[in-house]
Amino acid sequence: MSFFGRTWAILRKDLQAEWRTKQRLSPMIFFVLLVLLVFNFSFELGGAALREIGPGVLWSSYVFASLLSLGRSFADERENNAIDALTMAPGDRGAIYLGKMLGNLVFLLAIEMMSLPFFALFFNLSPGFFLLPLLAVFLLGSACLASVGTLFAAISNNMRLRELLLPLLLLPMVLPALISCVEATGLVLADSRSDALYPHLQMLGVYAVVFTVLSLMLFEYAIEE
Amino acid sequence: MVGNEAIVLEGASKHFGTHTALHPTNLVISRGQAALLVGANGAGKSTLLRLIAGLSRPSEGLLQIGGHDLQRTPEARAAIGLISHQTLLYDELTARENLDFFARLYGLTEQQQQLETALVEVGLLERQNQRVGSFSRGMKQRLALARATLHDPSILLLDEPFTGLDANASAILHHLLLSFLQKGGTFVLATHRLDAADGLVDRLLILERGYLRLDQALAGNLDELRARCAPYLDAVP
Repeated sequence: MSFFGRTWAILRKDLQAEWRTKQRLSPMIFFVLLVLLVFNFSFELGGAALREIGPGVLWSSYVFASLLSLGRSFADERENNAIDALTMAPGDRGAIYLGKMLGNLVFLLAIEMMSLPFFALFFNLSPGFFLLPLLAVFLLGSACLASVGTLFAAISNNMRLRELLLPLLLLPMVLPALISCVEATGLVLADSRSDALYPHLQMLGVYAVVFTVLSLMLFEYAIEE
Repeated sequence: MVGNEAIVLEGASKHFGTHTALHPTNLVISRGQAALLVGANGAGKSTLLRLIAGLSRPSEGLLQIGGHDLQRTPEARAAIGLISHQTLLYDELTARENLDFFARLYGLTEQQQQLETALVEVGLLERQNQRVGSFSRGMKQRLALARATLHDPSILLLDEPFTGLDANASAILHHLLLSFLQKGGTFVLATHRLDAADGLVDRLLILERGYLRLDQALAGNLDELRARCAPYLDAVP
């Protein structure tokens, strides 16, 4: 079977399992909504605050919510040692990484789409077409998180302190991407000219591609004993 | 496959930090052979099976499956099936969905027909649409057997496969292993249940503290097997 055929099989399996159990999406969306709610009560939001702290609040909640999903992506494989059957399948094991990474990307995008109306509500954001570039920021930002996060989730999966190790590895690594996500989101919310947005989108795109390629090369070693 | 060797280890060893789980080992298992791997807990049985399965890389030495180095030829992993005391299945998926997933991973061309056959063989056709999480231990292990043999491997690795099986499930596994041998398959069976291995194996491998202590042909009955294994199974890990 082709590399992409196996990638699709793994992605499909993860989506099928999540559709049944909702064990990743449910905690993620509750976490994001709680963070938005807490900030809503902690600060006087709306107006200038929307542009100043809104993007930071939004992306911080996404990054921490992503840890819930990333941690589960290999924990599910560990339950009955299914990871053994997965890694024994013939062909490049990079397909496992790509399937898992795309699954994490789908879950993150779903959470972002679901939480956006609540963000608009809490931060007094008036919806409009000017928000469309936000989709590109979400897509690229989530790809950055999923690319690095999936590799680190695989590495930490074999370790005893995996719940602690994953954020310790991931957070410093995604910082450059996180800064660009926050900046780009701020520009979109301020309805700035699109040419100011491009450098951030380019940075996110390069980050996602570089770390996806690197992770594909390193994944074999990350999951082997 | 090149030659008659199914599994070849030349000086293969495995270290975990400063601990040596398997000392340099030379071993050749020919096609059609059925080897019983015996040793006390911690003797290195699972380490050896995981090396052969390609789940672990040898720290030193060479390992070939059907003449292929698994690290250089990942497609050669298709020749191996693994059954362990864990099911290697997804509880949240149905029996059929589990098999369908693995059939896709192995690129099986006549998926639906092969799935039906596998489910019939292990007696789970009527339960195919139930979630594996709702299955009994015996049913899960039967499905695990179907998963491991779905892609028609030429080598089966079995790590304590009889653990937790009732008499019926043990009999099904015994029968499937016999028919696997008749088709020319090769297997390595690691188990403490010597009675379950009776009549199945023709070679005895004994591991002790990471060393392959004994490698002999086996033609005798269960009593002879017990007599040979007893000193090693009683050994303190």
